[in-house]
Amino acid sequence: MQTDTMVRPAQSTRLRLLVSFLGSMRLAVSLLVLLAIASVIGTVLSQQQPYENYQLQFGSFWFQVFRDLGLYNVYRTLWYTGIVAFLVLSTATCVTRNSPRMLRDMRALPVRQKRSAIRGQEHFVSQDTALSADEMVSRLTALLRRGGFRPRLERDGDTVYVAARKGRFHRLGYFLTHLAIILICAAALYNADIPVKWAEWTGTLRPATNFDLPLGEIPKSAWMPENNPAYRGIITLPEGQTANAVFELAGNGYLVQPLPFRIHLRAFHVRYYSTGMPRDFVSDVVLYSPSGKVLKSGSIRVNHPMAYDGVEIYQSSFSDGGSLLHLQSYLLGMPAAHPGMLSGRVGQTLQAGNSGYSVQLKDFSLYNVLPRSALGEKPDPQHPMVNLGPSYVYIVHDPHGGAAEFKTYMNPIYRAGQGYFIQGYRQSLGAEYQYVYLPVGPNGGVALFLDYLAALQVAARGGAQASPEIFQQIFQMLLHQENVTMSAAEQGRFVQASLDALTQLRDYPAPFLLHLQSFDHRWAAGLQVTKWPGTVPIYWGCVALVLGIFILFYLPQKRVWALVEKNGAGARLELGASADRNKDEFAREFAAWERLLQDSASKH
Amino acid sequence: MAENVESWAKELPIAYQRRSLGENLRREALWVAGLSAAALYILAQWGAQFGYWQYVVLASWYVALLLGGMAWRPLQWTVLATALPALAAVWLYAHGQTPANDWLLRYVLQGLAAVLWMSAFLLLATLAYLAHAWTGQAAVGRWATRLTWAGVIFGFIGLGVRWRETYLGHPSWGHIPVSNLWEVFVLFCASTSLFYLYYESKAENRSLGAFVMPLVAAAVGFLLWLTLIQHMNQIEPLIPALQSFWMKLHVPMMFVGYANFTVASLIGLAYLLGNWSTRHGGALAARLPSPEQMDEVMYRAIALGFLFFTVATILGAVWAARAWGGFWSWDPKETWALIVWLNYAGYLHARVVKGWRGNSMAWWSFLSLWVVSFCFLGVNLFLSGLHSYGKL
Ligand code: HEM
Repeated sequence: MQTDTMVRPAQSTRLRLLVSFLGSMRLAVSLLVLLAIASVIGTVLSQQQPYENYQLQFGSFWFQVFRDLGLYNVYRTLWYTGIVAFLVLSTATCVTRNSPRMLRDMRALPVRQKRSAIRGQEHFVSQDTALSADEMVSRLTALLRRGGFRPRLERDGDTVYVAARKGRFHRLGYFLTHLAIILICAAALYNADIPVKWAEWTGTLRPATNFDLPLGEIPKSAWMPENNPAYRGIITLPEGQTANAVFELAGNGYLVQPLPFRIHLRAFHVRYYSTGMPRDFVSDVVLYSPSGKVLKSGSIRVNHPMAYDGVEIYQSSFSDGGSLLHLQSYLLGMPAAHPGMLSGRVGQTLQAGNSGYSVQLKDFSLYNVLPRSALGEKPDPQHPMVNLGPSYVYIVHDPHGGAAEFKTYMNPIYRAGQGYFIQGYRQSLGAEYQYVYLPVGPNGGVALFLDYLAALQVAARGGAQASPEIFQQIFQMLLHQENVTMSAAEQGRFVQASLDALTQLRDYPAPFLLHLQSFDHRWAAGLQVTKWPGTVPIYWGCVALVLGIFILFYLPQKRVWALVEKNGAGARLELGASADRNKDEFAREFAAWERLLQDSASKH
Repeated sequence: MAENVESWAKELPIAYQRRSLGENLRREALWVAGLSAAALYILAQWGAQFGYWQYVVLASWYVALLLGGMAWRPLQWTVLATALPALAAVWLYAHGQTPANDWLLRYVLQGLAAVLWMSAFLLLATLAYLAHAWTGQAAVGRWATRLTWAGVIFGFIGLGVRWRETYLGHPSWGHIPVSNLWEVFVLFCASTSLFYLYYESKAENRSLGAFVMPLVAAAVGFLLWLTLIQHMNQIEPLIPALQSFWMKLHVPMMFVGYANFTVASLIGLAYLLGNWSTRHGGALAARLPSPEQMDEVMYRAIALGFLFFTVATILGAVWAARAWGGFWSWDPKETWALIVWLNYAGYLHARVVKGWRGNSMAWWSFLSLWVVSFCFLGVNLFLSGLHSYGKL
């Protein structure tokens, strides 16, 4: 086989050269390994991020180099697809070149073989015995039958020819595996919507890059044809809304895929385990025809997609769909008595009074169940998770054009009996959150802390020296004014916690704290919509692949030829055999036959 | 005379005599009967609630165990020695016993306890194998094998009992215990040792253990770290993406692949060091099987691994198609599975078609260990993606 798949210089016309190059095993192995190596890239470099992130990561020079190499979506680049196509081509060549020989192998064996051919087998033994030729033949055939062969005889005068084989259809395995590979790759390429890739390549289709456009205003050049044979798009659909198109990421932009129906999200809900971890995500949807007729309705869950005439809809993610938030804003250093009120939906930007500050409500999430480790708490096998309740994220733009992002959790965490609200902030998107731990007062909320803060500042302005006694005094006064009662221990903890919070607040980038008073939650479901006509061939391809591999590994072909001829009083046996797989094992089998025949010859 | 020719032919070594499936079934009648009875019992008991996929899962396990047990008798005893104690534990739990009030559960049968026993036995086995390779004492070698068996059995008992434990208290949490890093590490240790034992019995040589088991020991070390420091043995509910019957086939098959690849690569190491010692005159080469034999075992392991790995990857793709809406999302785990697969496809072609043998292939097999372990572990630790539930 080796020689078969290698170049024969004698007959190397250009075409032959090309073919035998394409079909050569050296190329096959190299391609397999090359593809493996090329595939690594996309796993170490996270794919399909917004281009800004890469810019930050690599700096503009390498950013451009990598972009031009297509490293941000490796597996869709021409060069990667090229390698795959090349492998397919090589496999195809290989199959066509090998098939004549392999088909020949599957035909029935000639019983008669030339002596030279018998001797030419990988294993050969010849024996002179005292047994009669017939006796020898019957032993040989009995032996072969024991071994699971079906020997066939042909008599020619004094000579009897014997032929037998196992694993006649071993070669089928070769065809199955390799044709399967071709089939699967072809179907996969088809599913990777070649037509669209082509349109992109030729420029008739141009991804839109502005993600904030309403559907109507997206340029037509970014719309894919509705009769597109295969696509895989995503849509984020707020509860109660309807969509008739999905989006497909392409480069640093996106393409729009119109759908043959409209998807209406009736409701989205998350089912939770008792720990607060999500158990299931469910979207209740209705599909309408363009004319408004109900086509199908039901719920879509993870692992349970909905299918409608060749199009599948999957539950792939969820997010906030524009929840209504009512926030109280407390000025730091002012008593908490009269907070300002802010109300708005996630996604909106609100003016904070006439301060010149504006608050952009970015996100809201109903549940936050985090592992203790993520909060830097010490592990607790009994309660590995902490429930921090709802959280909301907002960006504060100050009048001087600066901005910072804030994240607030609604449920306090408890350390040594003292509760804390966790308030995160960061100056830049890439950065980690810094956390401020605001102590919770005896009647919940942050009011007591804020009042204490204010009182301390008043005192400081009044020229009081910072000292533990003073801190205590001021706190006592405060408790008296607000007539709250706390045990000495609680007081101690609270004062300490407040002083810590005070230092943490030193470089807090906003002059006020926002506290969520109430909210009206609204989900948005992330649905993935795919159309994949190429799936059935892929399934069959997989079946063929596995079957083929099994045959190749475990049903090797073994061929046996022998002749027994009259030799004086006795007989002479010439036995040759070869196997085309697991040769070492077959060598042992053949040796066993030899031994048996030997001692049968020596007996008598 | 025909009879005596037939009887003469019977002297052919059993290994080379062909037996029809029927004969085989008859020779293993007890095994077949027992296994079938078990399957029927399951059907009778729970068949009512079965969807088609539970039939698929049950059938796959039934066939796999049936053929496996017929191909290699010791597997029959392993299954028995695992099933009975595990069922005993289930029975104890069913009768209101808990690790708190029942010492047998607390110290032996409880999932965690059994896993710790596994760890202990496998560590001892490793030492024994090293001692055996060093001293060449047959008795030590036999003990090494016994200890490994003990470890394997306790490992699977642990997994079996844990499966039940996932349902205790929170019926909605129940899942086959192959869902987080801790659980799959138990599976890895047990199955790698099991397949090592298989190849040991085929190669009839125990010195290979000195090369394979140290890696298992390392895995055990990591497992203990996960248990004692990370408390990862806590039973937790499944995230939605994992709530699929595909997991019951996909993950175990993957680990048949991993186990075989691991064994193969470490035999590759043995091969290389064996060669080295023949060149520099050491005792090692004498202890190890012949290079040809090791080369063959290596190939057989990789072949078996490749077969299962292929099926597992395909099942993964089908699962992904159901869960994420695409056969292939090029997420790191998938991609690394492909890398492993292509790598071994390359190996098989080089060996089978180009007929390469010896050092180069041993190196290839050995170096593949790094590819495999990155796919198995590295991805979870260093890369994030759809599979990131395997995280620390
Ligand atoms: C993704 C690509 C490919 C895959 C997955 C693949 C897979 C396989 C497998 C699993 C075997 C069986 C090895 C064994 O029996 O141990 C095999 C054998 C073989 N492959 Fe490939 N192969 C691929 C590409 C190619 C190419 C490009 C060629 C042509 C040069 C080729 C030629 C062969 C040949 C000649 C055999 C031996 C068949 C026999 O001995 O009956 N393969 N292949």
